[in-house]
Amino acid sequence: MTTTTTTVGKSDEKAYHRGLWSSRLGRLFSYLVLTVLAIIFLMPLYWMVTGSFKLQTITMAVPPEFFPSKPTLGNWTNLFTGPWPAWRWLLNSIIVSMLTVVLVVIVAAMTGYGFAKKRFPGSNVLFFILLSTMFLPTQVMLIPLFLLVSGLHLTSTVPGTYLAMALPMLSSPFGVFLVKQFASTIPDELFDAAKLDGASEWQMFTRIAVPLLAPALAALAIFTFNLAWNYFMWHLLVATDKSMYTIPVGVSFITRVPAYGKVTQDIGLMMAGGTFGAFFMLVFFLAFQQYFVKGITLGAVKG
Amino acid sequence: MTAKLTGLGREIWRNRVGYLFIAPGYLAFIAFMFLPLAVAIGLSFYKASFAIDQRQFVGLLQYERLFTNVKFQKALFNTIKYVLVVVPATVGLSLVISLLIHPRGIKAQSFYRGAFYLPAVAGGVILSVVWLWIFNPTFGLLNYLLGLVGIEPVLWLASTRYSFWAVSMVVLTFTLGQPIILFLAALANLNQDLLDASVVDGANNWQRTWYVTLPLLRPVILFVLATQTIGVFQVWETIYMLTEGGPSSSSTSLVFLIYQTAFIASKYGKASAIGVVLLILVAIVTLLQLRLWDRSEV
Repeated sequence: MTTTTTTVGKSDEKAYHRGLWSSRLGRLFSYLVLTVLAIIFLMPLYWMVTGSFKLQTITMAVPPEFFPSKPTLGNWTNLFTGPWPAWRWLLNSIIVSMLTVVLVVIVAAMTGYGFAKKRFPGSNVLFFILLSTMFLPTQVMLIPLFLLVSGLHLTSTVPGTYLAMALPMLSSPFGVFLVKQFASTIPDELFDAAKLDGASEWQMFTRIAVPLLAPALAALAIFTFNLAWNYFMWHLLVATDKSMYTIPVGVSFITRVPAYGKVTQDIGLMMAGGTFGAFFMLVFFLAFQQYFVKGITLGAVKG
Repeated sequence: MTAKLTGLGREIWRNRVGYLFIAPGYLAFIAFMFLPLAVAIGLSFYKASFAIDQRQFVGLLQYERLFTNVKFQKALFNTIKYVLVVVPATVGLSLVISLLIHPRGIKAQSFYRGAFYLPAVAGGVILSVVWLWIFNPTFGLLNYLLGLVGIEPVLWLASTRYSFWAVSMVVLTFTLGQPIILFLAALANLNQDLLDASVVDGANNWQRTWYVTLPLLRPVILFVLATQTIGVFQVWETIYMLTEGGPSSSSTSLVFLIYQTAFIASKYGKASAIGVVLLILVAIVTLLQLRLWDRSEV
């Protein structure tokens, strides 16, 4: 802001601020448009949460009820007493996502650091090959991976299933790219000084690089957690038993199988399931919004 | 020990630290990306099924059959249509929203940015659950709201005419968040001098946005275009939840067809062939976009 006041005169400054749509009318207009759009895009989430507290008759009422007048906990009781382990699904999701985060962060930190700070023959080509996989549709690989997982009988044990769910995410080039971008900004002098003091390569990585990379790694961890949480197709394929479903798989199961053999879909139950499935991730996002933003912007290729 | 190694070996040994650091990552890539990719391409020349544990080499037969297969044609056509509809809508709308958010204060910025990103956090499966209800023809919210302005009830999910648009609408709600974050970050880093100069030169809002801001944003716009295209090419969970590709394949996509063919019909040779077609399609589009990108950097 200081540069603007020095380069732009007083009357120009007024024009400048008007230029940023800060006139009262412009401001009002943009807030209005933004708020209407935000309401439209958040309406489904509102509808789902309030729907989970509505009676079956009210969910099918015309005109619809915008605020539950007689809130009920019935749908939630049905969700947690139904013939499926809802809490176990949440636990599965948390375990699989955390396992994915740990694996991805360790591997991406080493690989990204290697590409950023070590010169070796072929490093450019190897990095380019890796980066170009960002543009591959990963579903093509799921068939061979599925054959591998079932061939190794990984899904016959609980830890094996978790591992099978997490491992394919290791091949995401996003993390390597993000760490490399960030690691390139660390001055080489730091490492030269450490080398003079007799630090080993591994010590330079763990004692100097990792602490300095911490903000990027935190962003990567938070972002990967969300990606792993919503890695639906693979979890759907790997989870052969209802007790091994992750939350999205479980919610899709409740939604697609009419509950309790009823002919009509139980909308209240669906909404309770959806809210249950979304709740953890939404709270997680609101707590770590800055890291999400950092993860997305750091991972973007600067043109 | 090193003295016995050949020139190449010595070179690798000398740089072993670098190679060792990238080794775990690269091994993961080979195991979970390159090998599966090679196997998938190989499988596409076989007739193979999970049901009968047998594989039969059929050469290009799977591919020949695909191109006379109506279901495949519809999936291919729809996939391209999804990209052509959802990607421009996402980029355009997120750009407008970002330009509106950017001049506001820090608190308002982070509030709106968060609000528009929330659907992406919830994910396609969870959103589809509530949209199933919203789309309901008799007691759904959408038809009720449309009824208020005099529009007749629409069979959103059960008609060949609207199922594609219903799926596109839901996809749009969660593709919007990421570009907004990227555009806002780029807007915050714009060259302030150029913007100031345009004000001094007497440019109004529209002129400045059109002639200065948008050209400066070009690299980010192209990046968003590329990543969104890849994303929409892979659309499937919304289809899985809402329409199962129907009615009569009107909303299906290549990835959904891969899922159906491999894991419902268990013909994984044929599904691999569809996957290879998708791969080629994405490769072509990506290369075209990269050329666009190169030109923008001149």
